[in-house]
Amino acid sequence: MPISIHTIVQGLLLLLYAWFCYLMWEITRQYIPYDTDVAFLRIKQEYISRDYYRWAFFLHVYTSILVLPAGFTQFSKRLRLQLPTLHRRAGYLYLVITLFLAGPGGLIIGIHANGGWSSQLAFCLLAGLWIWFSAKAWIAARNKDWDKHRNFMIRSFALALSAITLRVWKFGIVAVFEPRPMDVYRLVAWLGWVLNLIIAEWIIFKFHKK
Amino acid sequence: MKRLTFLFSLVLFFACNDAPAGETETDANQTLQEETAETETPTEPASAEETTPVKFNKYLGYYVGDFEAKEFDSDQNYSYINRITISIEEMMDGEISGRSIVAGNDRPFSGTFNQRESGLVEVAVKEPGDDKYDGAFSFTINPDGSLVEGIWKAYNTGLAVPERIYELDKKTFTYNASLELPEHVGWAQLYNGEHPEEYVDFAEALSEDVLAFNPSSDKLSKTDVENMYQGDLEILRNSIYARHGYSFKNRKMRYIFDSYVDWYIPVSVDVRAQLTSLEKENIELVKRYEDHAEKYYDVFGR
Repeated sequence: MPISIHTIVQGLLLLLYAWFCYLMWEITRQYIPYDTDVAFLRIKQEYISRDYYRWAFFLHVYTSILVLPAGFTQFSKRLRLQLPTLHRRAGYLYLVITLFLAGPGGLIIGIHANGGWSSQLAFCLLAGLWIWFSAKAWIAARNKDWDKHRNFMIRSFALALSAITLRVWKFGIVAVFEPRPMDVYRLVAWLGWVLNLIIAEWIIFKFHKK
Repeated sequence: MKRLTFLFSLVLFFACNDAPAGETETDANQTLQEETAETETPTEPASAEETTPVKFNKYLGYYVGDFEAKEFDSDQNYSYINRITISIEEMMDGEISGRSIVAGNDRPFSGTFNQRESGLVEVAVKEPGDDKYDGAFSFTINPDGSLVEGIWKAYNTGLAVPERIYELDKKTFTYNASLELPEHVGWAQLYNGEHPEEYVDFAEALSEDVLAFNPSSDKLSKTDVENMYQGDLEILRNSIYARHGYSFKNRKMRYIFDSYVDWYIPVSVDVRAQLTSLEKENIELVKRYEDHAEKYYDVFGR
């Protein structure tokens, strides 16, 4: 059987995704073993002393890394049909983390985000919508409303991917324009997920037309 | 001996290192250098005025200016100009002693002087010779004690710069928290002083942000510094040390403070004990953002 271009592109995208997951793991690894004065936390010292912030931060960091692989496998038709149990278990993992751990954690970190009200609003909206879309997807699955479940999972996962896209935007913008550090931060706080959501809506729209 | 001092300071460094983990290597080096410097600082003669006859008092004090290469080996990484302070501390019975402070190196010297009938004082002094950069000075002090002019020859002729000339003005040093960086620092390039290339690729321009605050007199907050470039932060923080007359070992800092800041007088290689608590807090804050920018500004991450 000849390998189609479609398969090659899919394979490359898969590799790219694995590479970004690896980069995210490298970022997570900075916080292992537990340390409150490393990496990003070096400039968050005024909040890290507060119990709730520390809990929120480490819950978010330690659990959200699992969301990327768990969420990604959900979109494979073959896995869904041939290994429905795996789909269900990975789905539970994704939703429990999103709804109860990484999501609320992100919301609390977002309240204290660097860069003032604009980036605080951006991150809180991101976390709020992420939790909301995930909850809707869960409820739809329980009601066996599969179209709705799929649509909300697309939205939810688009926001989960902002972990990667935000950092890619930041890297690209700094490489090209070299803006001041907090200017780029304020910019990617929005750019990192709004674009993803627009693409998600477009994908959902395409599904509807089919 | 030098090695022993180094080892000792290493022990000191680790013994009292309360710096947070994750500090970059350069910090550690800098702190280390400061520790080394501390153990090397010679004690000042407390009674200079008593031992120096009154007629020579006008020659005592700091002479400050450019220490300029006369000969240099262009194959080596040389510094063409450094700002030097020659401190004359004692003159009696034809004997003279003092210190030279340049490029983070504070060295004692002693030797002889001879006053001509015109009033011109001719001086020949030597540094001890146990430091790589030691050498012999010969200079004249003009009759009213306002100007020093002369030549310096290193003992080690294999140095990148074995011979330097200088014309230094008499200056008094007083710490003044309100001294501001001059405006043209905002347009300066940061570079690490590599020669022969004037500016290397990774030279980084400073911005007007560097003039926005005086960290010796303003209490800085997180929002003041979080949007600043690393280069601006570095100069801002080091301006604190410069106000205290710290002589920089770091070439990048030397280049900025030597060539752009007229009020800068290097008089010491360890000013930590002189820092005010406001300055210490600002240093701690700025350093955090500097480190953060160094590690994370242009990488995949936040």
